[in-house]
Amino acid sequence: MKKNFLLFTLLIAPMLSYGELFLEVTKGSEEQYRVAMIPFEGNARVSKQLNNIMRNDLIRTGEFSILDEELLLPVKIIDDELIYSDWKLLGMDYLVTGTIIKANNSIDINYEIYDVHKKRKVRSSKVFGIPNQIRQLAHYTSDGIYESITGIKGIAATRLLYVNEIKDSQRISTYKLMLADSDGANEKTLLSSSEPIISPSWSPDGKRVAYVSFETGMAKVFIQEIASGKREAVLSKDTQISSPSWSPDGKYLSLTLYQDGNAEIYILRLRDRTLTRMTNQFAIDTESTWSPKGNKILFTSGRSGSPQIYELDLRKLNPKAKRVSFEGTYNAKASYLPNEEGIIFVHRSGNGLFHIALKYKRENFIRILTEAKMDESPSVAPNGNMVIYGIKEENLSLLAGFSLSGAKFKLPASKGEVREPAWSNFLR
Amino acid sequence: MNKSINTFFALSLMLIFSACSSVQITEEAVSDQSVAGVSITSKSTATQAVLANAVVYFDYDQFNLTSKSIQALKGVSDLMKRNQKITISVEGHADERGTREYNLALGQRRAESVANYLIANGVKRNRLITKSYGEERPLSLGSNDTAWSKNRRVEIK
Repeated sequence: MKKNFLLFTLLIAPMLSYGELFLEVTKGSEEQYRVAMIPFEGNARVSKQLNNIMRNDLIRTGEFSILDEELLLPVKIIDDELIYSDWKLLGMDYLVTGTIIKANNSIDINYEIYDVHKKRKVRSSKVFGIPNQIRQLAHYTSDGIYESITGIKGIAATRLLYVNEIKDSQRISTYKLMLADSDGANEKTLLSSSEPIISPSWSPDGKRVAYVSFETGMAKVFIQEIASGKREAVLSKDTQISSPSWSPDGKYLSLTLYQDGNAEIYILRLRDRTLTRMTNQFAIDTESTWSPKGNKILFTSGRSGSPQIYELDLRKLNPKAKRVSFEGTYNAKASYLPNEEGIIFVHRSGNGLFHIALKYKRENFIRILTEAKMDESPSVAPNGNMVIYGIKEENLSLLAGFSLSGAKFKLPASKGEVREPAWSNFLR
Repeated sequence: MNKSINTFFALSLMLIFSACSSVQITEEAVSDQSVAGVSITSKSTATQAVLANAVVYFDYDQFNLTSKSIQALKGVSDLMKRNQKITISVEGHADERGTREYNLALGQRRAESVANYLIANGVKRNRLITKSYGEERPLSLGSNDTAWSKNRRVEIK
């Protein structure tokens, strides 16, 4: 039911308010669902805000073409039946309508989705919250629309973590760990420090984050609760600790410890802080990440003479690391796709440039997905349909993303540089 | 440490799915998203008036010492033998190419190479602290060979 659609360039920046990353969709996919979104009835200001956010959410997926507002027709209902023919003539696949009920302390949104081809209502939903949650209400609604039409869980209501570095006039840096909505808006500072912050990682429930801070003069892993700001170093050892990754059940962190001066991977049980050593190698072992089911970890090792990706099967006793990357002399920072059918990682091409690459289990070749020079830190959205990563443009780091259906977007920093994005799990 | 604490309201999420003549009907409440930001100011590590300051450089992706580095390190080990009270920090760095965590580990390898040389030349291990900043503290900000060669270094302080 997707229609051919020309590639387009769209700048959505003016819709977002000051002090936010802005979104720039540079390319849409060629096959898209065509949707007419009637501005929701009720409070006009809220309606406009919702409409902008939802359009952005859906366009960013690359899978949707939303009809221009000027081209919308009045919705005709005769004998309780929606008249579909007008929308069919406009080439629409779906129609979305809704109402907003705003009281002092609450906002209710009711929305309906109609399938123009099958001539029937496919969804009738309500999302509700308090008035300062309009962005979230919009994201929840976008996800509802996305899910009904594509059959895949939406990611509009997920969030991003990333590192922001701002240099003052004397080139003194302030490092910030930031949190934002999946569209880069609603940016909040979780941590601000005069020392570097790297490697942010989400807890699977989205309530806590782990990261590396150099505030003590040496890399250490900290856990911080988002709502309260309560934070602690995970181990009191007098050694470098880095590269945290949360297990899918939330009970463990995999880490890199430098106890003997060399980077080795350990698994830390959070309940009692017991450590289990996973690698024992003269070479560097780091950048561990868990498989979605929690029974394997991927990591980067220099044991073959160049950084390559290895896998450990945690179900085995004393598991032996299995090499999984073979193409080229630099493959690192790998993570599994949510369906575990492949891995995404940083690959150095023959020309010395770094790109994001994907290797499916069933294929014996890699797919290069990006084309800048210094692409790094790929993070996959929990539905597996989008990837966000770091790029450099004119010496400045910013975030870029793409959907597997072909849309591309960029999230430049509102101030300074941004890097190391980490996509949360589903939060609704 | 400056902490502001917001109350975290319990997340209330309600999902009702029902099959009503194949129309999907749902109802959900959006979850609360309180955020408390934390700001930390680190005490700048007081640099001791040490005469042992030195910087040695490395080749791309490498952590072995060059002959030029060995010359510089001889000076450091001689000085440390003459001044038994000096303890030094050996701080490894990498250029921006490659991943951040791998570069952190590479910087550590470089720091360990320097430490191992000094230890082999009679400096006691407990007078050295090795650490790495990876690619986080570049000396030169450019993205070119000259800048990169300046950034692949170990600083002895």
